[in-house]
Amino acid sequence: MMMFTQVQGLPVITADEAEPLGRVESLTIDAHTGGIACLRLSGAPRHVTAIAWQAVEAVGRDAVIVRSRAAAGPGQGSLPAHQEALGRRVLTEHGAAHGTVKDIAFDNTTGRVLTLYTALGDISGDRLLGIGSYAVVVRAETS
Amino acid sequence: MIPLVLASELTKRVVVTLGGEAVAQIRDTVFDARAGRVTGFTLSGRGLLAGPLKESLPFSGVHAVGPSAVMIPSEASLERRELTVGADGSGHGQVIGAPVLTDQGTEIGTVLDVVIETGVGGRVVGFEIAADETMDRHRRKAFIPRGETLAVSGRALVVPAHARHFLADDLPSFGAQVEAFRAHTAQQYPGSPATEAGGPA
Repeated sequence: MMMFTQVQGLPVITADEAEPLGRVESLTIDAHTGGIACLRLSGAPRHVTAIAWQAVEAVGRDAVIVRSRAAAGPGQGSLPAHQEALGRRVLTEHGAAHGTVKDIAFDNTTGRVLTLYTALGDISGDRLLGIGSYAVVVRAETS
Repeated sequence: MIPLVLASELTKRVVVTLGGEAVAQIRDTVFDARAGRVTGFTLSGRGLLAGPLKESLPFSGVHAVGPSAVMIPSEASLERRELTVGADGSGHGQVIGAPVLTDQGTEIGTVLDVVIETGVGGRVVGFEIAADETMDRHRRKAFIPRGETLAVSGRALVVPAHARHFLADDLPSFGAQVEAFRAHTAQQYPGSPATEAGGPA
């Protein structure tokens, strides 16, 4: 398990060429699958600004490893549009506010979103319904 | 316990899709006075300079009315037409400020706001009224349940006289009073279906 804030800023290195591709700027969540869709890079050469999760070999404490430059390249167009989840307000599907997203825990082998952390309590990643420009929407707690 | 909300509190509330996009904000609540429920909402754009939108939001397209936002499944819930205000013209604006009379002919105050049940029905359950001194020396504002038949015109609103015994001071306690009022009404007219009770006490 790792946190989004731990991954931000890590260098992205290819395993075959040991070539740095840039640094992780942000992670894009696909709200429908509840997993990470891609990593957005900053300072990336050759227009590789996003890397699909499938192309990522490993997310470690000190770096993100991608198999090769060739693997990182394709599929730029098919990646979902980025919506930043960190710092965004949280609404339940019933329209009640639930603070803002402070950090997100995810499984660094599968890419599944495990927990959203807010000042008002933790929310399981299974409850994620949508991430938009206004809010992160979560399913209401079944009580 | 019924979750209740004041119609005026809904104004400016943001309309958000389950995908997390804010698409509009509530401009006004449109009532069907005869059916005693919310037909839907007119909308305005978000931001300082945004004007009214052509689209409106029928209540059937609402996922939930919450304290922080009105949730809709997707932008497809918005309808590209004006909501028709009831033929007798008793929309929101005309109800506010109307004098409240009991069905025994006593004036008890004027309408300040409309109380709506926020579930799937969007029913109008009662009114916030500015109380006349004759009714109660201590209360300035009170919540009063509506009768089962909602009698409202642009000029007056008529409530059953026994609704006066089910006043509440605030919205949270009003929910319990509405339930007590309904139980009382049902008890009084055991044979009749709930839709046509509400005679003189």
